[in-house]
Amino acid sequence: MIASVAFRNFKALRSARIELAPFNLVIGPNGSGKTSLIQAVLRLRTLARLPISDTFAVTNLEAAQIAFRFNPPHNGFEATLTCRDEESCDLLQLTPLAASGELIDWAVLRTRLLTARSYLLDSRAIIRPVQTGGSRELASDGSNLTACLAGLREISPDAYAGLCAELLQLFPEYADLVLYADRGTFSLRLAGGGAPVMVPADEVSQGTLYVMALLALAHDPAPPAIICLEELDRGIHPRLLRGVRDVLYRLTHPADYGHTRSPVQVIATTHSPQLLDLFRDHPEEIVIADKHGRAATFARLSDRTDLTELLAEGGTLGDLWYSGILGGVPEAT
Amino acid sequence: MNGRSLRLALLGESQVDEAALAILVEGILGKPFNQVQPGLRARGWPSVIQILPAIARHLHFNTDADALVMLVDADDTEPHGSHHERPGYFHPRCRLCQLRAVFRRATRHLPLKHGRERMLRAVGLAVPSAEAWYLCGNDDTVGEAAWVEGRVTGRAPYTRRELKARVYGTERPNLAQAVAGATLAAKRHARDPRRLEHDFPGFAALATDLRSWELKPAETDSSRSAA
Repeated sequence: MIASVAFRNFKALRSARIELAPFNLVIGPNGSGKTSLIQAVLRLRTLARLPISDTFAVTNLEAAQIAFRFNPPHNGFEATLTCRDEESCDLLQLTPLAASGELIDWAVLRTRLLTARSYLLDSRAIIRPVQTGGSRELASDGSNLTACLAGLREISPDAYAGLCAELLQLFPEYADLVLYADRGTFSLRLAGGGAPVMVPADEVSQGTLYVMALLALAHDPAPPAIICLEELDRGIHPRLLRGVRDVLYRLTHPADYGHTRSPVQVIATTHSPQLLDLFRDHPEEIVIADKHGRAATFARLSDRTDLTELLAEGGTLGDLWYSGILGGVPEAT
Repeated sequence: MNGRSLRLALLGESQVDEAALAILVEGILGKPFNQVQPGLRARGWPSVIQILPAIARHLHFNTDADALVMLVDADDTEPHGSHHERPGYFHPRCRLCQLRAVFRRATRHLPLKHGRERMLRAVGLAVPSAEAWYLCGNDDTVGEAAWVEGRVTGRAPYTRRELKARVYGTERPNLAQAVAGATLAAKRHARDPRRLEHDFPGFAALATDLRSWELKPAETDSSRSAA
């Protein structure tokens, strides 16, 4: 999907570039551009709805610009967002990269980009009962999770059964997921294992609710082309993070798990050393955001040529990150 | 142990290793055992070595475990050679040697508790990772000798990622895939561990430790040599 993003004068990203993999876990201190990367993807999605600008000349060299390149078969052009100021990016231009660059690809790519979604899940929103019907697309805060689950159960009972099975595997203290309909609204309950107890949503832990939302995305028969997840580890016990990673890998590498649908590109942020530990064998999936003064940059962990030697000296990947030797830590703390 | 089932605690780097280790241990012992404190876990090698003294102390005082069985990956560190077994020998880059030494220090001065003077221990070292064990017998290119030769020539015969792909069909196995692949291979080896012992000295060391318990029960002084 998105092969790379280059930033100029966009918030703290004064001059930064990052190549994106199918799965990307972004680590770094607060204010280092992690969220800005996700915002850039969302702005591309927003502007993709509009006609392409044929106004080519941008005279203000200080204007913020974000340039996207894409993986084959959409690698024939670059999409550039230009901003009037740091907040208003309202110009999208396409530039052919080679003689073979076919702008006509944009129509196909655009359709996929429009499905991109970003999530910062909110347990208080998730537990509220929701109206039946409505969009089947999970809201950015997860507030319609129950309706999405009900919709999935209706259109794809097999996928819903798979979701329930995976949920109960991750949380064996529960025996069933129950979608409770009452006067035009849905709410969710979890049946306790070993005792006839229904646990209402407002008594379910935050982490459990967040994992349910991730499962809803992973079991969606037609997931978004790009999923951005902020604070992926939030509320989730370190031992369950392996399960969370598995869920996301199924989205990004569906063929490895017997699925025939298109891969989803995932961009997730975290502050968890324990989550980072799980990527020791895949440093190419780690993006380190760094901040020097007010300027932020990105780097791939796999570009660190001495990583193997550092790991051989001892310490987990999370330990190395926390120590500061990989970068991606707050300055002077 | 007076004919009763052994009470063992297992410590690995993942749930997958733990599932396979339980099968391998039972296969070597030739009889079922009772698992004490299921779910002991460490976050990779540095965590294993750091947390081991606390785990040993906890198991000694708060459980009736007869022994602690550990399995770690060698990654790029020194494999456990036969010369490491010489009395008094210690290789500072061999994780198996390190674990034995840390366990010995941690338990040396613990007082009598739960009817046993001290716990036994058994340690396995998977070179470079447990996936190599799982391929043993099915992939003739995989073995400690090939890995050691690769260390000498500077050309590793395979990577950890490649081993994963060969065992699970993907470099990114989910937990269910990994447990299924690991336990299937472990059951195969448990039925006949000779090939695994021959090709992987890091497994042979584990098997030797386990078998020594029959001869050196925990309550006797002679068990000290195994600890």
